[in-house]
Amino acid sequence: MVIGSQRARPDGATVAATATAVLMALALGMIFFYVPTDVDQGYSQRIFYFHVPIALTTYTLFVWGAVNAARYLWRRDQSLDLKSYIPMHLGVIFGSLTLATGSIWARISWGHWWFWGDTQLTTFLIIFLFNCAYFMLRFSVEPGERRATYSAVYALLGVGLIPLSVLGVRFAQRNELIHPITFNSNGANMDGSMFLTFLVALAAMLSLAVTMYLVELRGKRIDDRIRAIRRLAEARA
Amino acid sequence: MIDETAVKYVAAVYGLVWVVTLAYIAILNAKLGRLERQLDEIAGLLEPGAGDA
Repeated sequence: MVIGSQRARPDGATVAATATAVLMALALGMIFFYVPTDVDQGYSQRIFYFHVPIALTTYTLFVWGAVNAARYLWRRDQSLDLKSYIPMHLGVIFGSLTLATGSIWARISWGHWWFWGDTQLTTFLIIFLFNCAYFMLRFSVEPGERRATYSAVYALLGVGLIPLSVLGVRFAQRNELIHPITFNSNGANMDGSMFLTFLVALAAMLSLAVTMYLVELRGKRIDDRIRAIRRLAEARA
Repeated sequence: MIDETAVKYVAAVYGLVWVVTLAYIAILNAKLGRLERQLDEIAGLLEPGAGDA
């Protein structure tokens, strides 16, 4: 047995980070050099290829957090509390980006930074604020089972709001300043090359979220281990 | 002909995502620094004679 010739397998975060780098480079290349300029909106439509994937990643993260919250309530495994908290945290980061990028796109497309009459904008803001309050609740309770339970229940309540935002755009809107409908019952409302570029950008954004999740999870686990070792060291000293 | 204003807004969106990602890395780096300091403290506690004083 030659121990020196054995190479450590790359961990999940390294694989995810590599995939993100490749997908992000590919997505940016397609967005700026491959996809045609939209006839209706012009060059500013390129915001779509980052804004919508970021929004969909936000929803995915909140759902992911809620699924792990449900698993925590079922199994009472503390590691699932952490696996629920991290997607919620990342969801708020991606949610902030969704609001900011959407606001910039609204300014160039509609002439306004924000439009309260748009159902999807408003419902997304409600979901975002509701999930921001998750952290107020979580950090107002002492660490332990009670905090994990409260957090899990709140995460599950928050995910119930998501269908409202997704379907919101399909409800009555009689204004001229409406949110564009990207997908309907007939499929994607865009050209094939645009849809392909969108899918690559979505894969890149989801991959970025997975990378951030794995890195943050590892950081939290190391933090927990250091606390445990510190307690042991203090007891020995 | 590309609209110059549209280019600025598109650049703002992509630049913002870039800045937020970098900020996230900076926060993670700060956290790693904190963990490193905690490890140093633990190493200090475990040094022979640390509890004698």
